[in-house]
Amino acid sequence: MTEALLAVAGLTVAYADVRAVHALDLDVRSGEVVALIGANGAGKSSLLKGLMGLGGNVQGKILLAGSDLSGLPPQRRARLGVGYVPEGRRVFAGMTTEENLLVASRDGGAARAACTEEMYALFPQLGVRRDAPAWQLSGGEQQMLAVARALMARPRLLLVDEPTLGLAPAAARSVIRVLRGIAATGAAVLLAEQNARAALAAADRAVLMRLGRIAATGTAEALAGDERLLRSLMGG
Amino acid sequence: MTARHPVRAWLGRDVNALVLAGAIGLLAWPFLTGDAYSLRLLTVAGVYGLAAIGYQFVFGHAGALSLAQGAFFGLGAYAAGIMSVRTGAGFEVTFPAAMAAAAVLAALVALPVLRLRSHYFALATLAVGQVALVIAVNWESVTGGANGIPNVPVPSLFGASVGRGWPMLLLVWSLVAAGAVVARRLTGGLTGAALLLMREQPMAAEAAGIDIRRVRFAAFLLSALYGGAAGALQVHTVRVVSPEVLEFPVMVMLLAIAVVGGRTSISGAILGAVLLIHLPEWFRPLERYYLVAYGVALLAMIVAAPWGLMGSLSRARQRWLPEPEPPLPAAGRVPAGRPPARLAIAGLTRHFGGVRAVDGIDLVVEPGESVGIVGANGSGKTTLLNMIAGVETPDSGRIRWGKSDIAGLPPYRIARAGIGRSFQALKLIDGLTVLDNVAAAAWRETGGPDRDAARASAMALLQALDLAPMAWRRCGALPPGLRRRVEIARALIGGPALLLLDEPAAGLTAAERDSVAGTLAALNAGGTTVVVVEHDLAFLEGFVARIVCLDQGRIIADGAPADVRSDPGVISAWLGQPPDEGHKHD
Amino acid sequence: MEFLQLALNGVALGAAYALVALGFVLILNATGAVNFAQGDLVAAGGFVAVALAGILPAPGYLLLPLVAILMAALGLAVSAVAYWPLRDRPPVAVFISTIALGIIIQNGLNGLFGAEPRAAPPLFAGGQLEFFGLVIARQSLSIMATAALLIGAVQLLLTRTQLGRRLRATAQDREVAAALGIPVGAMIALTFALAAALAGAAGMLLANRYFITPTHGTDFIVKAYIAVVIGGWGRIGGALAGAMLVALFETVVAAWADYAVATGLLYVAMLTILVFRPRGLFGEAEGRRA
Repeated sequence: MTEALLAVAGLTVAYADVRAVHALDLDVRSGEVVALIGANGAGKSSLLKGLMGLGGNVQGKILLAGSDLSGLPPQRRARLGVGYVPEGRRVFAGMTTEENLLVASRDGGAARAACTEEMYALFPQLGVRRDAPAWQLSGGEQQMLAVARALMARPRLLLVDEPTLGLAPAAARSVIRVLRGIAATGAAVLLAEQNARAALAAADRAVLMRLGRIAATGTAEALAGDERLLRSLMGG
Repeated sequence: MTARHPVRAWLGRDVNALVLAGAIGLLAWPFLTGDAYSLRLLTVAGVYGLAAIGYQFVFGHAGALSLAQGAFFGLGAYAAGIMSVRTGAGFEVTFPAAMAAAAVLAALVALPVLRLRSHYFALATLAVGQVALVIAVNWESVTGGANGIPNVPVPSLFGASVGRGWPMLLLVWSLVAAGAVVARRLTGGLTGAALLLMREQPMAAEAAGIDIRRVRFAAFLLSALYGGAAGALQVHTVRVVSPEVLEFPVMVMLLAIAVVGGRTSISGAILGAVLLIHLPEWFRPLERYYLVAYGVALLAMIVAAPWGLMGSLSRARQRWLPEPEPPLPAAGRVPAGRPPARLAIAGLTRHFGGVRAVDGIDLVVEPGESVGIVGANGSGKTTLLNMIAGVETPDSGRIRWGKSDIAGLPPYRIARAGIGRSFQALKLIDGLTVLDNVAAAAWRETGGPDRDAARASAMALLQALDLAPMAWRRCGALPPGLRRRVEIARALIGGPALLLLDEPAAGLTAAERDSVAGTLAALNAGGTTVVVVEHDLAFLEGFVARIVCLDQGRIIADGAPADVRSDPGVISAWLGQPPDEGHKHD
Repeated sequence: MEFLQLALNGVALGAAYALVALGFVLILNATGAVNFAQGDLVAAGGFVAVALAGILPAPGYLLLPLVAILMAALGLAVSAVAYWPLRDRPPVAVFISTIALGIIIQNGLNGLFGAEPRAAPPLFAGGQLEFFGLVIARQSLSIMATAALLIGAVQLLLTRTQLGRRLRATAQDREVAAALGIPVGAMIALTFALAAALAGAAGMLLANRYFITPTHGTDFIVKAYIAVVIGGWGRIGGALAGAMLVALFETVVAAWADYAVATGLLYVAMLTILVFRPRGLFGEAEGRRA
C-alpha cells in the first residue's frame, strides 16, 4: 500500500456564515485521480480552498508527504508542491497566454521556456494563442490555460476546482481527459466537480460530499452505478 | 426596570456623560488661565468641532470620503466675511448667508460628483476645494485676492456686539451645542441603525426599500451647511478673511479630527477638535516638527484605533462593563402584508460577453404560490433572481408585478413595490443587535416609523420566527442557522407580498434546514408568495408545491417536485453529461 | 513658434510627471489603494538630491542612482507603515494613512530643510541650447531623456522579466498569484520601493529647473491623480498619456494666464470630464479583476 501523498485528518473549514467542512478525513495517493462530487454547498470548493490556505477558519491536519501544511500561507504550500486551478479559471486577464505560463514557473530561463513548450505540446490550442491576451481566450481555452499554468511548477498534488463550469461539453471532455493524463505522470489530482458523471469517468476513486461531510466513498465505478448517488446529489 | 449596580450603571450610561464632564472641565480651564490666547484657542476648537460634526454626516454616516469640507468651510468664511465688511450686516444675516452659500455649492456639485465611484469622488471633491481657492486668490475685486480682507468686525447679533474673548467663546460653543443636538436628532435612534446598514451593507439597505442616493445627497448637503456655519464663525473669530481658509491643510485637519475622534461620534468630533487644535501648542517645544507629531497621531489612529478615541472607549466599555440586557420590547403587530400580486415574466434575456446567462424565460407566479427554482451553477437562476430584484437589468423581456412593469427599476423601488429578498451571503450587521438589524430595514427618509414602532414590528417578526430570546444579542455571535432566520425576518419587515430567497439553505445543518423550511412553509401558508432559488431538492420539497428547473438560461422543467425530480432532462442537467465511452483509459 | 516653445517645455514637464504617475498607478494596481504620499515622495527625492549634493562632490548623473536607492528604501518604509497594517481593510484606510504619511514627510522636510525653495544640481549641465529658433534648457533634455530611459526600463522589467511578470500577476489577482507560489507580500513592498524610486528621480530632475519646497508634494499628487483619472484608472499607458496632457495643459495655460489659474482650470477640466465620463476619459483598465 503506497503511502498517501496527501493525508487530511479532522479538517474543518468555516467562514463567517457557513460551516463548510466538518471534521473530514481524506487520503490521496500519488498517481490517482480522486473526484469530489456533491451538490453545491456540499463543501467541495471550500475543502480545496482550505487545503490551499485561501481563507476561512481552518482546523485540522493537512499532511503533504509528511509536511504539515496547516498555518502556511498559500505561497508556501505552492512551493511545497501543491498546484491549484481555481473555480472560474481566473487567468491573469491582462497578460498573454505565454506570460500566464511563464509567471507560474519556478525554474530559471531555459528550463522555464522548455516547460512552456511542454505545455503547448500538451495543450495545442494554447500554442496557437500564445501571444493573445488571456481575456480574449474562450472559456475552454482559459480553462486549459489555468490548468497548464498550475502545472508549470510541476506540482505533486493538483487541486482542481470545478473545471467544467461554464464549458461546452466538448471542452469539458477535453479538460477531463487532460486531468487523467496528468495523474499518469505521477502527480495526484483532487478534482471537485459538479458534473458528476464526467468526474466519475475520469477518476479512480470518488468521494461524495454532503453538507460538509463525506456521505460515501469508493471506486469511481462503484459510485457511478449507485442509485443513492442520484438521490443525494439532488438532495434527500 | 431591573436593579443595576450603581457604579456600573453610571459608567455604563452613554459615554457622553463622561464627555460632558470633560467638556465642563475644559470650559473651566480658561478660568484658571484666563488669558486671551487660551480663550481664542478654545473658540477655534469649537469652530472646527462644528465643522467636524458636519463632516461626519458625509464621511462617517454616509461612509464617503469627501474632501470638500474645507471648501464649504472656506466658502462660508468668505461669504460671511465679505458680507460683513461690505454691507455691515449683522451676524443674524451673515450666518445664514454663509450656510446658504455652502449649501448652494454642495447642491451644484452633488449631481455629478455623488454618482462617482469612491476613488473619483475623493478627487472630485478635492478639486472643488482647489478651484474655490484659485477663485479666491484671483478674484481680487470681491475677495481681496491673496491678501484677503482684513478687519472683519466682531459679530453683532441684532445690534449687540459680541466681543472678543468670553462672549465669542460662548457664542461659538452654544452654536456647537445646538449643532450637536440637531446632529444627534438627525442621526440617532432608528436612523443611526439605518445609516449603519447603508454604509456596511448597501445592497441589503436597497433591498429594504431605502433610497441610498437620496440619503447621500442629504448627508452631503448637511455637511455643507455645518461647514458654512463653522466658516462664518471662523471669520469672526480671527477677524480676517484670507485664502488660507480654503487651503488643503484645513481639510486635512477636519479629516484628522473625524478619524481621531471617531467617525460617527458627535462627542468624538468635539473631543477631536479640542485635542487637535491644542496639539500644536503641546508640541510647540518640538518647534518646526510639531506638525510631524500631527501626522504621526493621525497615522497611529487609523492603523491602531480606526474607530477613533470615542469608538475605542465605547468598545472598551462594552467589553469590560457590558450593560445587562434590557427587557424585551413589547411586540407590536406583524407588519401588514402588501396586497398579493401576480409576477409575470416574459421573454427575459441577459447576456454577459458571449454568454447567454438567461435566454428567453417565461414564468408566471400566482399570488400565494411557493416556487423553487433549481439548476446547476451557471444555469441562470441567480441572474434571474437578480433581475427580478432589480440588481441587474434585463437585455430584453418584461417583468410585470401586478399592474406595473418593474424590469430595470432600481432595487429600492422594487422593494417598495412589495418584493422582498434575502441574500445568499448574509448581509447582516454583525456588530448590531438582532432586533435592530431587523428594525433598521423599516426606516424611511421621510414618513417611516420611529425606533419604538420599528422595534415593535421587528419584535413581532422575531416572535413569529422563534428568535425572540435573541433580540438583544449581537448578530455576529449567532450561529449560521439563526442568522439566516434573522435575515428572513429583516426581509419581512416591509410586509412584502412576494419573498425572493437566494439559497437560504446554504451552509446550514440538516436540523437548521428543516427549521428554515418550516418557517417558509408557515410564511407561505399565511399568504406570502415565496420564490426560492436553491440546489437542495429535499429542502425545497418541504414547502414548495412547484419546481422550475433551469439549464443554460432556459426553463427545462416546470411542475410538481416529484415530476421534476424524475424528469430525465433534469437528471441529466444535474448530474452532468456523460462523457464518451473509453475515456477512462486514454 | 511660441506654441512650439511652450509645447517643448510642456513635454519636459510632462516627462517628469509621467514618472510620478507611473509610480502612482503601479501602487494602485498592486494594492487597489491610492498612495496619497506619492507627491510628497517626489519632494523628498528633490531634497535628498539637495542634501547629497551638499555632501558629495559628484555630478548629477552619479547622484541620481543614489537618490533612487535611498528613495526605494523610503518606499519600503512607506509600505511597511502605511500599507501593510491596513492591507485587509477597505482602500479608504490606506488613503487616509498615506495622507498622514504625507504630512509626516512634508513637515519632516520642512523641519530639516526649511520652507525656502531649494535647487538640486542638474543632471548633466545647466544652461540652454538653441536650435531652429527654439530654446531648450539642457536640464529639460535631461529630464526627457531620463524619464524615457526609466519608463522604458520599467516597461522592460514588467514585460520581459520574471520579476516584472510576478509584479503584474500580483496586481491582477493577488489570491491566485499566491496560489502559484508568488511571494505577494514581497511583490507589493517592491512595488512601493519602485514607485518611490521613480518619484525620487522625478523630484531630483524637477528640483533643478523648478526649485523644490516641502509643500510641493500636494501639488504633485493631485496632478498624478488627475493624470490617472484622465488616462483611465489602472492603465499604465493611460497614466503616462494623462501626465503628458496635464503638463501640456498647465504649461500652455500658465503662459497665457498665471500658474494658479492654470491649476484651477485643470481641475475644472477634470471635473468636466468626470461629469460626462464618470469612468475616466479612456475608461478603466481592460481585463482587471473588479
